[in-house]
Amino acid sequence: MTLQLKRLLTDLGEKSSYDAASQCCRCGYCEQACPTYVVTGDETRSARGRNQLVRLLMEQKLADPASARDGLDTCLLCGACTAACYAQVATADIVLEGRRMLSAEPHRLARALTWLMAEHRELLGLLLKAANLAKRLGLTALARPVLRLIGLPGLALAEEHVQEAPLTFLHEILRRRPPAADPQWLYFAACGSDFLYPRVGEATVAVLEALRGEGDFMDNGCCGLLAYNYGDAADARAAARRNIARFEAAGGQGPVVGDCSSCVAFLKSYPQLFLSEPDWRKRAERFAAAVRDVPEVLAAAPLPGARLPATTCHDSCRACHGQGLKDEARAAVRRLAGASYRELAESDMCCGGAGAYAFRNPALSDDLVRRKASRIAATGARLAVASGTSCLIQLAQGLKKYYPECEVVHISELAARALAQGDIDGTQAGA
Amino acid sequence: MTKPDFAALQDALAPGALLTGEAQLAAYSYDGASARGRPEAVALPRSAEEVRRVVELCRRRGIPYVARGAGTNLSGGSVPLRGGVVLCLARLDRILRIDTSALCAVVEPGVVNLKLQEELERTGHYYAPDPSSFRVSTIGGNIAENSGGPRCLKYGVTTDHVLALEAVMPGGELARFSAEDAGPELMSLLVGSEGTLGVVTKAWLRILPLPAAVRTVLAGFPSVEAAVRCVSALIAAGVVPRALEALDRATVATVSAYRKAGYPDTEAVLLIEMDGSAESTAREAAEVERLLAVHGASEVRSAEQAEDRERLWEGRRGAYAACARLAPNVLVEDGVVPRDRLPEVVRRIRDISARHGIQPALLFHAGDGNIHPNIAYDERDPEQTRRVKAAGQEMLRACVELGGSLSGEHGIGTEKREAMRWLHAPRALRLFRDIKAAIDPEGLANPGKMWPDEDSGEEPLARPPRPLSAQARLLAEKVKACAGQGRPMAVRGSGSRWKGVPPDCAELATARLDAVLDWDQGNYTITVEAGVSARSLRAELASQGFHLRLPELGGSLGGILATKAWPGLREDVLGARLILADGEVVDLGGKVVKNVAGYDVPRLVLGSWGTLGVIVDVTLRLHSSPVELRAPGEPRPFAAGTWQRRVKAAFDPRNLLNPWFCAQP
Repeated sequence: MTLQLKRLLTDLGEKSSYDAASQCCRCGYCEQACPTYVVTGDETRSARGRNQLVRLLMEQKLADPASARDGLDTCLLCGACTAACYAQVATADIVLEGRRMLSAEPHRLARALTWLMAEHRELLGLLLKAANLAKRLGLTALARPVLRLIGLPGLALAEEHVQEAPLTFLHEILRRRPPAADPQWLYFAACGSDFLYPRVGEATVAVLEALRGEGDFMDNGCCGLLAYNYGDAADARAAARRNIARFEAAGGQGPVVGDCSSCVAFLKSYPQLFLSEPDWRKRAERFAAAVRDVPEVLAAAPLPGARLPATTCHDSCRACHGQGLKDEARAAVRRLAGASYRELAESDMCCGGAGAYAFRNPALSDDLVRRKASRIAATGARLAVASGTSCLIQLAQGLKKYYPECEVVHISELAARALAQGDIDGTQAGA
Repeated sequence: MTKPDFAALQDALAPGALLTGEAQLAAYSYDGASARGRPEAVALPRSAEEVRRVVELCRRRGIPYVARGAGTNLSGGSVPLRGGVVLCLARLDRILRIDTSALCAVVEPGVVNLKLQEELERTGHYYAPDPSSFRVSTIGGNIAENSGGPRCLKYGVTTDHVLALEAVMPGGELARFSAEDAGPELMSLLVGSEGTLGVVTKAWLRILPLPAAVRTVLAGFPSVEAAVRCVSALIAAGVVPRALEALDRATVATVSAYRKAGYPDTEAVLLIEMDGSAESTAREAAEVERLLAVHGASEVRSAEQAEDRERLWEGRRGAYAACARLAPNVLVEDGVVPRDRLPEVVRRIRDISARHGIQPALLFHAGDGNIHPNIAYDERDPEQTRRVKAAGQEMLRACVELGGSLSGEHGIGTEKREAMRWLHAPRALRLFRDIKAAIDPEGLANPGKMWPDEDSGEEPLARPPRPLSAQARLLAEKVKACAGQGRPMAVRGSGSRWKGVPPDCAELATARLDAVLDWDQGNYTITVEAGVSARSLRAELASQGFHLRLPELGGSLGGILATKAWPGLREDVLGARLILADGEVVDLGGKVVKNVAGYDVPRLVLGSWGTLGVIVDVTLRLHSSPVELRAPGEPRPFAAGTWQRRVKAAFDPRNLLNPWFCAQP
């Protein structure tokens, strides 16, 4: 039996999941914020529709509960609806409660991956290296069955999307760093940065060193988001406990800086996992209060201007909707790019990456990334900036397909590049 | 629905356009109100042809259907009460053309109001109707409900901005109706018909150039009454803001809990917006600020830049949605009263609320006399729900008693069906049913909406009918007598547009219906009998600083309306009283500038050349400034087509009134 949270921490206080779902008054003002409604025109795939479906599930008013699966499974969990809602109805959390009601067993792949990501990162690293090596050797066809065989069919699919195949992972690189004498920050390596984009993590660390002085790698485990979204909430809770404990062991001083907006948003939501455990809730609140996303760090920092091609900024959903960081990334990119900055229409609309979404709903995901690529193309940008690693995966393959003139980089990479250039050129902090 | 029904429906639609899963059907069983009804299938067409095929199939197989857009309706109008098919038009969402030289936009019904505004803005234009749901609601839905919005104070409601419509009619025919068609205004009949007469598949909309200047003023008031009294004073002074909105303290507090709107800490707030040329806007703003001071306003703020203005609007825009924070459900009523009755209706709403133990947050399109009490409640609590609904109904009743109507912009839907009996006499309700039956004989288009079932009993009107003048009574008796004998009749005004009376017809002369019944100078409305000379009326009004948007035209006012000699008057017709072919009198519309309670018969009779009924009197909106208008050429008599004959059959089944227009060929 999958564990439901039963209680949620909403903008209107702590509520039962049922009360949280019932808070939706069906005004429909969220509809045009919901990417899947915008591209399908289908109420079932709208935020309002999903809240109603979960409410009906909870009221046991659906004779065929499984018929709600499509509506709930197609939710991106981007949170744009919540941001548009005056009552801030927490649709993503509510949808997840609905999904948990529908699945008797947590997703096998999600459980396996969580187990690897949270507790057995070396083993995961080994498996991925084998796959990546196969890929580099042009043996993609070989890598896929291997991944399937070891119970990672989703990753086999993911593997087709991921353009890069690192052979050295971020945690291996960062563990070689000497510990800081007086750490000013802790770096939380998101799994995406660790296993897919070590260059992003290295850039984040470089940026932190340049802006905040010395600091330490937290040597964390998975944030637990994968388990929360697709697997067992109990696994997510276990992951949270481990990370909180590690933070406390490292002195309990922040800021804890992460470089995947989805993970960071989830770290900030840890208190919701412990509503029935007052001690842990307090510890989670202290931890969450110390967590920062890269755009937050950059928004307040002096940044040099950089020589960049036309550059635009995509708002990663879990930064702008999940954490309310609506202007931070844009403000930083604008300062970095100066006159090369281009405003992006629908910048806060999900690109369709959304974690494992692209693998689970390929057609919808492709509709969304095509729309995103066309908006990016309309700006004429040659460089698109994002702050989530699943955005990086999605935009890399989407741009390659629909607007190959443009490449995508993480905001840390852009900042690191500018800071390095700034040093060389002696450029002053940008205007 | 049977298995073959589903198969046929599947064939009529493109792949992926039919939903039948239980959860999917559940997602189309509600709208923004509280009614529920589960459809048996949901169709998501992408073309008018698909819509046509579905409607035709429904007619052949006797399946009820409901067309809907975004499903934000606040009166339960888009809920499929009798199962059948939901025709969701959200995917018909193309803006087909924007023609800035003809000031026209051609759109499909699923286009979201905001998307149209965004496209128009690029060309320096806009579309005036701006319902509060404009970010999500669709043009098709706006047309079906004849939606208003803050800006309609100056620019009029949706019907004033529709130039033509293409619609799939209940028989499965694709038809086009235009404001320029000769004969009764069928296009006006479709607007606000809540999907009961046809499914709009394309709309030609009037667009306007963006004004050169806009100025927004915000002011606090020590009481709601003081604020609405100031509203009446502003209107009476001839100021025409494009928006004139009022919020009470409870509303401001609700919004502020979510977004710091920075509104003054007073019992009421007025939001006033003027537009036009830089000079006229500045002039109006000065006059507004002077009147605000006179009426005890405090903390007056003014903004001209779009960003600053938006900040002043932020609190108002979120007022309804913010109520969603208070409780899971929000009942938003939509009563409308003549503006000068606003203080009284506020008092009555307070009494009703106290009696039922509820705390409504009041929000007004005050310039229009349109009041939205928002009442937060939890439908899971049956006792509370009962109290809230009862209070809501009493508030509507109070609006009707004060000379107003049940709905300014949300429609009747399912929620106010029974209340229609307070506003409309049985004969008027029968007329609505007859119109529906004439256009949709099978009764499949959105059944169970807009009026109460025939056999559900009678209730006295909430306000006594207006007495007829002696002349009008005589005329009605004459019609009744002729109708009794089956004798054809010829309606004749001053004789300036049409002179002859066929020998076999009894003459119904309206020339002696020449009284000005009610000239409400504060409210800027006038009710006059049809035989009044247009020239003398214009002169009399002008002498007091009031103006009709009517060019220099001879003849009677009734004649001008019945022959559509000046189509522009359409926008100012608020109500009309008609003698029907059986001699019964119906009184439709009234002194309120927004009214969506029932079919728009006052506009339908424009251009009907006396074939639908004898216009006894009309209520017109007046203006504070004259406009130079060029008199048009001769009005065109019409040759009755299919739809005009159907409407004629609803009004005058024996073809007794001006029978030659609809003689069998």
